[in-house]
Amino acid sequence: MILEPQKRISKKGLTVWRISGAIHSFFALLVLGGAVSLTFIFDWPSWIIGIAVLAFALYAYLFIMLIPTLRWKRWRYEVRENEIELQHGVFIIKRTLVPMIRVQHVDTLQGPILRKYQLATITVSTAATVHEIPALEVEEAEELRYFISKLVRVADEDV
Amino acid sequence: MSEPKRLHPISAIISCLKQLKELIIPFLVFVVFGSKNGLFQLFASLGVIVLVFIIGILTWLRFTYRLEEGELRIEYGVFVRKKRYIPFERIQSLDLSEGILQRPFGLVKVKIETAGSSGEAEAVLTAISKSQAILIQQALSSAKASVSFDEEESIKKEQEITLYKISPKELLLLASTSGGVGVVLSAVIAFILQFEEFIPYEKVFSGLEDFISSGVLVVSLLVFLGFLIAWVAALIGTMLKYAGFTVKKNEDDFIITRGLLEKRQLTIPLHRIQAIRISENLIRQPFGLCTVYIESAGGSATETESTREMLLPIAKRNVITTILSPYLPEYNLEISILSAPKRSLKRYLFRGLLYMLPIIVGSVLFIKPWGYLSLLIVIPSTLLSYLKFKDAGWKIDGEQLTLRYRAIIKNTIFMKRNRIQSLVMRESYFQNKNKLASIEATVMSGSGGTRGRVIDLEKKDVEGIYEWYSYSKEK
Repeated sequence: MILEPQKRISKKGLTVWRISGAIHSFFALLVLGGAVSLTFIFDWPSWIIGIAVLAFALYAYLFIMLIPTLRWKRWRYEVRENEIELQHGVFIIKRTLVPMIRVQHVDTLQGPILRKYQLATITVSTAATVHEIPALEVEEAEELRYFISKLVRVADEDV
Repeated sequence: MSEPKRLHPISAIISCLKQLKELIIPFLVFVVFGSKNGLFQLFASLGVIVLVFIIGILTWLRFTYRLEEGELRIEYGVFVRKKRYIPFERIQSLDLSEGILQRPFGLVKVKIETAGSSGEAEAVLTAISKSQAILIQQALSSAKASVSFDEEESIKKEQEITLYKISPKELLLLASTSGGVGVVLSAVIAFILQFEEFIPYEKVFSGLEDFISSGVLVVSLLVFLGFLIAWVAALIGTMLKYAGFTVKKNEDDFIITRGLLEKRQLTIPLHRIQAIRISENLIRQPFGLCTVYIESAGGSATETESTREMLLPIAKRNVITTILSPYLPEYNLEISILSAPKRSLKRYLFRGLLYMLPIIVGSVLFIKPWGYLSLLIVIPSTLLSYLKFKDAGWKIDGEQLTLRYRAIIKNTIFMKRNRIQSLVMRESYFQNKNKLASIEATVMSGSGGTRGRVIDLEKKDVEGIYEWYSYSKEK
């Protein structure tokens, strides 16, 4: 077995995912709430309400509790001198290798929730693909971006 | 050759016609829904046409190009003057084509592609004389030759070897077995079946039986004829497109020419080749025929053809190596593929059934008596799943990774390790239990990427590929 990458992403990333899961769930709540009110207006059978409540509970549990936890547990990355290795996935584990000489550029980006928690996401682009390391501490992300771009400059090669 | 040159005047007309073509719909709307005052409409339309022509001529007047200091310098723009300087080293390929309007004057359209030009070509010279185009080509190749100061190259340069020319028989074979024809044929069959379904229903009206059934016959005959015509049209279209398909090689480019009405010439530098793909579709495979594509970097993304260029449109699987290996020595195209393990067959079959399930359940529930016929889908789908399993495979040979897989068309993709942009190993819970995993490798193609992905291989093999690709173990 090949060793899996070692570094985890920030623990705060879990909180961010839970928050965005909560926002998703809120929209799901709106839709299901609409269905429930329609049930009242048109006198549809009441089991629809039961299903709606259940569906919401399941949705909220999945997207606020279970999936962020699994996702966070799985997320690993490692930036080595010659390559970047990523491992992620909830039900399907994906492991990705990106050689340094293939990296074209590195970006950091930050949404409003990430900013509040002083986190940032790094994207690494090759000529054909884009890879993401989500929710890193801002300083770490900056450092990493600098580190990668320095390594890329060293390992320059045609396409 | 430093004085600014204009394009051939015909390019003014070409650009006018293009403009007018785009204006047709607003024009029609204007005429149909416009005011009742015919005179005003007439004048307005004439005005627009005159304006288009004036702008076309001005555009032509302002467009100049020249070769200067190792750059192609283009200046253009009617209201806003623009200058575009492209260094020769940045130019990936020149794409020459002859449209119907260019042909009578012996002109060519030159598209200049650079690596960064996503969407459309970096620059287009709509109509210049062939001698001019050749001059540009020579300037380009001499500029490139001086970069890589190789003594022998100047001697080799003039040598052009033809490695493939399509024969009339192959052209016919190509056209009649292309995917488009398959679609048309299956549509015809579906239609005929549709009408057969109607016949028993019509029989209820026994008095009218003769008349109607003959009517149905006439209709289905007409439909069949329509499809036959469509098929022949598709056939002729493909034949015109690929007539005279020739692949030549000069010092370090492949030059592909094809087309009868519109001649196209394409230059692919050998060092831009990212991967080789051999495709065998369902109609061609039984005859041992396949198509060879080149995935190459650069080129414009809007033209789907240029990202994946056909190298050999149709050829016997066993002669490909003989044709290509002298020119692509770093690729080993004749390779024994290691298949997926037996235990992944059941996963392939299961997946096939799973995809069909919604269709079957849907039609059984909603199309009452006939819905059960959809159960028959299981047979071809299972067959396809079995073929997918049989074709899944991989092989590492030195620096080359070969992946073979089938969606509907069987693909074998040959990639060099230093051309693979990233590698993904993928494993689900159930795959893990069966010690299976999937592998996915991406190479650059055009301005995006193209992937080869094989599902359910032996996990140990996939890990082997992963380790082979890893750059860390070298130290």
